[in-house]
This record gives sequence, C-alpha cells and structure tokens, in this order.
Amino acid sequence: MAKVHNWQLGREMDYRFPEVHPDRQFVAVFNINRCIACQTCTFACKSTWTYSRGQELMWWNNVETKPYGGYPHHWDIKLLQLLNDANPGGQTWDASTQSDDAPYGEFKGMTIFEAGAAEGKDSAIGYLPTEEDWTSPNFYEDTAKGNPGVPNEYHPEGAQLPEHNTWFFYLQRICNHCTYPGCVSACPRNAIYKRPEDGIVLIDQERCRGYQKCVEQCPYKKSMYRPNQQVSEKCIGCYPRVEGSDPITDGVPMETRCVATCVGKIRLQGLVDIQDGEWVEAPTNPLYYLVRKEQVALPLYPQFGTEPNVYYIPPRWVPREYLRQLFGPGVDQAIDRYTNPSRELQAVLQLFRSTQKIIFRYEIEEGEEIMDTEVNGRRVQIFNDTIIGFDGNDQEAVRISVEEPFHIRNGEFAGQFQNSI
Amino acid sequence: METLSSSKRLTVIIMAFVFVGAAALTLFDLRLASSQTVTLVAKRSENAIPLDDPSADVWDKGAPIQVPLSGQNTVPPRGGGEGTVTARALHYDGKLYIRMEWSDATKDDSTSMQNEFTDAAAVQFPVEHGESVPAFCMGNPDAPVNIWQWKAAWQTGTDASVLDVQEAYPNIAVDFYPFEDEPEFYPAAASGNIVVRADRTSAADNLLAGSFGTLTAAEDQMVAGMGAWDDGKWRVVFSRDLQVGAEYAQFAEGDSTNVAFAVWNGANAERDGMKSVSQFLTLEVSPEIATGGGGLSGGTIGLFVVVGLVVVAGLATVGSYLLYTRRQTA
Repeated sequence: MAKVHNWQLGREMDYRFPEVHPDRQFVAVFNINRCIACQTCTFACKSTWTYSRGQELMWWNNVETKPYGGYPHHWDIKLLQLLNDANPGGQTWDASTQSDDAPYGEFKGMTIFEAGAAEGKDSAIGYLPTEEDWTSPNFYEDTAKGNPGVPNEYHPEGAQLPEHNTWFFYLQRICNHCTYPGCVSACPRNAIYKRPEDGIVLIDQERCRGYQKCVEQCPYKKSMYRPNQQVSEKCIGCYPRVEGSDPITDGVPMETRCVATCVGKIRLQGLVDIQDGEWVEAPTNPLYYLVRKEQVALPLYPQFGTEPNVYYIPPRWVPREYLRQLFGPGVDQAIDRYTNPSRELQAVLQLFRSTQKIIFRYEIEEGEEIMDTEVNGRRVQIFNDTIIGFDGNDQEAVRISVEEPFHIRNGEFAGQFQNSI
Repeated sequence: METLSSSKRLTVIIMAFVFVGAAALTLFDLRLASSQTVTLVAKRSENAIPLDDPSADVWDKGAPIQVPLSGQNTVPPRGGGEGTVTARALHYDGKLYIRMEWSDATKDDSTSMQNEFTDAAAVQFPVEHGESVPAFCMGNPDAPVNIWQWKAAWQTGTDASVLDVQEAYPNIAVDFYPFEDEPEFYPAAASGNIVVRADRTSAADNLLAGSFGTLTAAEDQMVAGMGAWDDGKWRVVFSRDLQVGAEYAQFAEGDSTNVAFAVWNGANAERDGMKSVSQFLTLEVSPEIATGGGGLSGGTIGLFVVVGLVVVAGLATVGSYLLYTRRQTA
C-alpha cells in the first residue's frame, strides 16, 4: 500500500498505487434541491449506452429516493455497516481542522482501503450485490421517512423547516470517476485505468476477464457485470462527448448525456485542471467555484476514501445528521450558503443545464437589484446579473440572466391551436 | 577371496531398495506426486480418444498420478485450498491429451446471473522448456508460460458458449433491442476479448502469461477442452497438437517438459487468483504404447507399493546376505 493525499479527508491515506493525477479531472455538480426524479437522465444514459442484450439490469445513471431507496438495494447501508463493523463507533470527523486545503476538516475513521488492511486483506472491503439487489432499481420511490414507532403514519409536524420530520429526497448517481477508484485498486489484471486527459475511469473491454473484483470493491456499486459478455462494464463518462469528438459541438468538449438532458436543470459538468495533485485555483470555473470556493457542493460519502468527483448541493429540508453521514461535515455551511446565496452564487446557479458545451469559465455582468426582502430573519437581495459561460475554445457558449425573461405570446398561435383540434 | 566391508554391505542393501522400488513403480506404473521427481507420462494410445466423453475407457490406459493442490497464497486475491487432482496423459495421432479429475460436490457451470461463478480448470506449461522452470504462479517475464484454461460455463449454452439472456431467463420480457446486430454495443466482443468470442468452438482457451496479472489470450486458439461432471467429480480433457508454433509449449515423443495444474470451485466464488494450484511436475511424452495403470485408486496402489517394497526389499536383503556369506564361506 502506498500513501496518497486525499483532500476530502484532510489527510494521507493508504492506496494500492502511488499518487498519480490526471491533467484534468471530470467533475460534476448535482443540485439535489432541484431534482424532480423525472429519470430523464436515467433514460438518456440507458438509451445511449446500455440498451443491448445483457445490459437489462444495468443503469449507469440512476436516481434513487433516500433514505430507503438504492440501486443496488441498500448499497450504501451495507457498506456503512461493513465500515462500522471494521471500526465500531470510530467513523468520525474532526471538523475543527477545516482549512482551504481541507475544507471538511480531517476524517478520523477508516476508509474502505484502511478497513480492508485492518482485516489483513490486500484489498478494500466490499461486497458483491445479489441478483435481487440489482432488480427494481427505483424501489422505494417517493417513500418518505416515517414517524418512528408509529407504523403507516407520517409525522404530524412533518414539513417544518429547517428540518422536515417527514422527508425524502432524490439522489442522482453516476460513476464518481474517483481520484482513488476502488475499482482500479481492485482489479488484479490492471484492466481498469484512469485517463490522464480527463480522469475518466474506464474498464478495458479487451483485458477484462469478468472477475467482478471491481463490482465487489467499488463502494458506489457503479461497476456492473454483463453476464452474456462475461465482463464488467461501467459509466464511461460519455468520453466521446467530453473529448469534443461529437459533431454537434464542432470539437469543443460537451457535457455527458445525463447532464445535457436534465429537465430540472440540476446538473452541471465540466473539467478542472490538476497540477501537483491539487485543483488549480480557477475561481471562475463554475465547478471550482461551487466545490472549492463557495463550497456549496459536497462529495458523496467522502469517508469511503476514493475521493469521488461528483458533488452534491445537499437538500435543505433533510435532517442534518443524516446528511452529514452522506456528505460529511460540510453540510451545514453548504445549506446555509445555498439558502442565503451570495450574489455570485445566484448567477452561477443559472449556468446549470444552459448549454451542452462544457463551460470552462464564466464572466458576470452586473444588473440592477430586483428584490430586497427578508427571509427567515435575514435580508435577501437579488440582482438581475447576467452570467456568460465560455466553452473549450474560450468562445461564448451561453448568456443567461438571473431573472428569467418573461415572454407574452400573442393571440395568433392560440387560433392555430384551436384549429388543430 | 576378499571380503566385503560393512559399508559395501550397506551399499548393496540400499541398491536393492532402489531396484525394488523402481521395479514396483514400473510394475504399478505409478509416480507419487509428492516426490519432486514425479513425472506424468503421456504414452501412445492405440485407440482414438473421444473429446466428448472424458470418462471414456481409453483413459484406463493412461497411468494416473495424484497431484496435490494448495491454495494460491502468493498474490491477492488469494484463495483456493488443499485438494488433489488425478492427472492422466496420452497421445494419439499427433495430439496430446491430458485429463484432470477432481472432486467437486456441486456442478457450477453458469455465469449468466449475477454472483454466479463457474467451475474451471487449467494446465500450464513453460513456453520454452529449459534447464530452469518458470515460476509456477503464472511464469516470469523472461520465462513465459502457456496456459490452457477450461471453464464449465463455456460449454453450457448453445454452440459451446455461455448462456445468453433468453436462455438464462426464459420468462424475461424485453420490448426490443434496437441495434442488436451492431458490434459496438458489445464492446468486449468487438474489441476481440477472448472471454466472449462469439465463434467459440471449444470450452478451453489458449493463453499466455509472464507473471501475475498478465494473462493474455494467445493469437491462435487451438486447444480443445471438454468436461463432464458426474457424481461429485469433474473429469476434464484437454487436447492439442503436439507440435505447433514456437510461441507455445511444444511436445515431442521422447521429450520432457513441465506441467502444473489449477482448479477453481465456482460454488466458493473462486475466480482469478482465487484457485487451488500445484507445483510444476515433469511431463514426458513417451513413444511406448499405453497399457494402463489399472483401475486402482492412488491410495490403494500406494499401499501396494509400500507393502511390496518392504517384502521384496526384505527378501532381497536376506538373499544378498546369504549370497555374500556363501561366497565368503566358499
């Protein structure tokens, strides 16, 4: 085992391979607060990559309802249980050491790699989901947390902020294209690799022999076995689009299918530059801004230790204790900043799902104040700023204002509509 | 007449033991695998060897050896355990045949559902037979090994292949597969991955390796393999031409090389390095006609050998001593 630095844990940790980083890293931000679970992302992915024979149970993108849902069933609960068994009561954070380099403080518990080593294994802890686990991928959809001890009844005061007593939320999941992937570490044949140009993690379909060690050791369960091909497959980060080889964008990098089709405009995906193992400071790269500067978007289960690269704006109505288990100690600050957004954050949030092109940087043109009010005892000002996103060639890709333009349709179309009936 | 010293007397006794031991081994055609010099001898068969019947009578002519297996504990993922493979070898009409036989309580011959792992077996040879033997665990970078691997799942489906979705799930309902015949949506097959070759005609693959994690499909697939499970026992036959291209193991009448064995138990989720393995043994391709090692089990034969050794050695010792004393008296 080598020692590698994991900034999400604020410390070094054990990993099978020495620390190596790509030049650029695939990063996505999903705003849970906006998701309506329409599953358009899920079907965009399915209809692009996994509609063939042998992929019937395969959903590289899925949206599950928390707290009960999961694809495969209870994947996260099972892993949390394994971690707790390995380190009972020890899976804690020390948030007092927070800094720019360690925004969530220091994780004091065991990662999946360290828990495996503690059990005398050479590999990470993990498990192989059963056949049944992979079925009914949207089981528990819209099932809310119940009233403890009272079956078939919701909490009488279920929907009061800041934390609802009756709650659920949607968790959107793709491969995290981790910095220290569990799958890469698991493969005895080194048939899984992380691309130097964008950090996308791929299974070499020619080398894979279907041993399913990656299925076992990916903590997010995003490596999947395709029985009729005898190999495992996984989310490929829509790499032809990210490379800019899709003809639609004339050679500039393009968002993945699941991101580009998002109806709720909850997703933003791009690339951040990496130098000497660190994110290069780029305050106007929207991904860098949301994750490292404003810190409203947090990694999913950072304690697993793989340094996942999909980040979530946590749902503001959900009990914080639960969210801290999913997203670490940054939850309270992230929700506070999201519910009382800065002027810049208000503008950056408009970029979500505004163009298929990956936005590498943005500029903001200031507009007039359109609202000055008080919410929950705090002053809220909204400015109609305009944010301009630039693509991979530094050409303007999108221009959008905070206040959505208001259009009035005149009568001529209404007449046509009536005639057509 | 000079007298024999006591040391010479000892030499006579030891030689008698060696002679008797060799005679017994020859008599029973048995070579104990626990000895380092154990040899699997492939004699010439007078009859054709059917691939589709690993239990065929012709195998009674092949002298069995008991090969001890142990768990693979060198590199992760470790696994497997203690066991024994009964190995036999024959050659016929320019082809080498090797049969492995081992106990396995369950027949695991499907990988068509999640969490299913197949029973499997492999034989391994040095690509070049030299003075030193490659590491028995997948060879060395400068001394590669040629591996023939058979998987039960590869002979389960139609056309000597794995079960397809509709075979594994007869009641499955699928609306349609829009681009069923377009290879890019079957990337493993399209990239030539041997585990999914659509034109599979054999349940055994021809592979090369030069240390852990380097197992690679050979360019030429020319190994036939067929297994049959019966009453808690797998019997698997491998076959290939004695002489092929230089990049693979070569065999010739009168020549020796090495062979090692591996077994995977699918019920135990064994795959990859999780396997039971043997050390390298000697494999000799003999021009002699195979006449059989009898139908006795290795244990019984072993007992016969030990008893035979003691009795015959005792007689020989007494005889030698009598001869010596008579000569001395004369």
